[in-house]
Amino acid sequence: MLNNLISVKNLKKSFGGITAVDIKELSFIEGELTSVIGPNGAGKTTFFDLISGFQNADSGDIFLKEKNISNSQPYKIARMGMVRTFQLTKVFDRMTVMENLLFSGSDVNNDSFLRSILKLNSQKVYENSLKDKANEIMNDLNIGHMADSYARELSGGQKKLLELARAIINEPEILLLDEPLAGVNPKLAEDILSLIKKLSEDGITIVMVEHNIEAVMKISERVVVLAEGSLIADGSPNEIRTNKNVIEAYLGKDDE
Amino acid sequence: MITKRFSLQFIFALSISIFSIYLVFFLNPDGAIRILLNLVTFAGIYGLSAIGLNVHFGWTGLLNFGHASFMGVGAYVTLLLMPHAAGREGVVVTTGLPFFVALIIGILAAALFGLLLGLPAIRLRGDYLAIVTIAAAEIFRLLVRDLESITGGVYGIINYTENFQKYRPSFIDELSDNLGFSASQGWVCLAAWISIFFTVLFLKRLSKSPWGRALRAVREDEDAVRAMGKNAVWLKLQSFMLGAGIAGLSGVLLAFNYGSLESTVFIPLLTFYVWAIMILGGVGTITGPIFGSIIFWVIISETDRLAYLLFENANGQQLAGVRFLLVGVLIMFLMIFRPSGLLGKKEELLLDVK
Ligand SMILES: Nc1ncnc2c1ncn2[C@@H]1O[C@H](COP(=O)(O)OP(=O)(O)O)[C@@H](O)[C@H]1O
Ligand SMILES: [Mg+2]
Repeated sequence: MLNNLISVKNLKKSFGGITAVDIKELSFIEGELTSVIGPNGAGKTTFFDLISGFQNADSGDIFLKEKNISNSQPYKIARMGMVRTFQLTKVFDRMTVMENLLFSGSDVNNDSFLRSILKLNSQKVYENSLKDKANEIMNDLNIGHMADSYARELSGGQKKLLELARAIINEPEILLLDEPLAGVNPKLAEDILSLIKKLSEDGITIVMVEHNIEAVMKISERVVVLAEGSLIADGSPNEIRTNKNVIEAYLGKDDE
Repeated sequence: MITKRFSLQFIFALSISIFSIYLVFFLNPDGAIRILLNLVTFAGIYGLSAIGLNVHFGWTGLLNFGHASFMGVGAYVTLLLMPHAAGREGVVVTTGLPFFVALIIGILAAALFGLLLGLPAIRLRGDYLAIVTIAAAEIFRLLVRDLESITGGVYGIINYTENFQKYRPSFIDELSDNLGFSASQGWVCLAAWISIFFTVLFLKRLSKSPWGRALRAVREDEDAVRAMGKNAVWLKLQSFMLGAGIAGLSGVLLAFNYGSLESTVFIPLLTFYVWAIMILGGVGTITGPIFGSIIFWVIISETDRLAYLLFENANGQQLAGVRFLLVGVLIMFLMIFRPSGLLGKKEELLLDVK
């Protein structure tokens, strides 16, 4: 077990005068389910953008499996096994749910121009196995009946599910989830939550940004708290619940 | 259900195309065959070009407003590699490659030009790519104009058609004798439609393939593509090269249809015609541009006669005005009543006017 599957050192990012992220040191442990919480604007999404390569840090280092990925392209980071979802869902609107999954699960070689021209039998076999996998995942997530619908026809909650499904079929070792429960009805939220728990039990390392504190406290093994870009607390859910800094950060926010 | 609606659309597009061609006969009691051949040839060449543009915009979402330059690179490279004469003095180049070798190099050159243009530009967001491609196409055209010693500049290139016409099958000559059309244009026309046939087969194979699916994913959301570990830039470059290569082929055909080639052929208007054809036919479809092109060319070539029906004493300039007006009105009506074009799927509407 790696104690620092992902770790960042002196990571800084600011927009104009606003410091979005300023973290001295933070690591995530292999196999653990960690939640990142904090008031709106605390820098959680920016933190995800930085470690997944979607934004470049002003300074600092990011390590994934002990390899420095500070200026790596997002797709290269994803290929190393770290896959993310987006706070504002990004589904392929004018493709079917099935196509969304097939694309996401497809190996890069399978996508190649040459293989697609040659239409080798091996590609067909691969695609069929991918389809089976997609069907299985869709059924698990109760979107099997939507397989042939265009993704744009899905409800907000279903789009969240589709994004999750897409991440799962990509078979990540590490999953970064940005507010997987936002805008989802309570019943669906329950389902998504138990799915996340199951993925974690299957051995996937999960880092989740979430505002639903109840949910966070219920399933997380560790909670990390950000406020104004900085790390203000780090511990078990019980420790965080009673942490003075955390209470202040949240109450301070309310006072404004 | 989707197949059924598709075939209905197909019949609709086919009927409009046939009706348009009937209109040509109706408007030209004499010499309809010659006019028709000219029209079908242009329709084939521009249709092919629009099929290439559809790979860029319809499949991948790339805003390419410099399509004429891809056609131009294909045409110039191919012609210059074969025996020809160029420039004010008509400098004769007697040696060169055989047509098919030159053609393949011309197509590859167009694809390579796509790659070179794409490398710096394709990382930019949509509208920036549009600006870069417009500019690059104009730079290409002006370079061709000013490099007179090679390209013939404004005097153009001549005496190259024989390289291609010597492969003309004899049945075309027999038909042309009987029906009274130009045999050489007949051969260009046949070649254009053979090219369309094979390009469509090729693209049909690709569009439902994992590669085609990846391009559509890029069109929908590049960030999500990257998040899934796919190299969006490389996919866009591949799409750019493929569409540019198809445009290059259509440019070569255009050169053979004209018989002489000069830089003014590749003005931005050419690009906008191809865009209009793609939109008419259906963005994101494979065969749509073919029908779009037939209808477009019936309008372009018959506006004169239509305008005479409306305004008896119209002069050339006024006719040109009427022509643009009609194309504009047609596209406007289409956008209102059939925004997805003749063959496009409503669910995949790509020209969202929000
Ligand atoms: N692209 C951007 N341009 C300018 N400011 C930004 C940008 N992205 C985020 N910010 C600012 O950075 C801070 C952190 O934002 P964010 O990471 O989205 O927070 P969170 O996800 O915790 O709500 C906020 O003050 C936000 O306004
Ligand atoms: Mg956020």
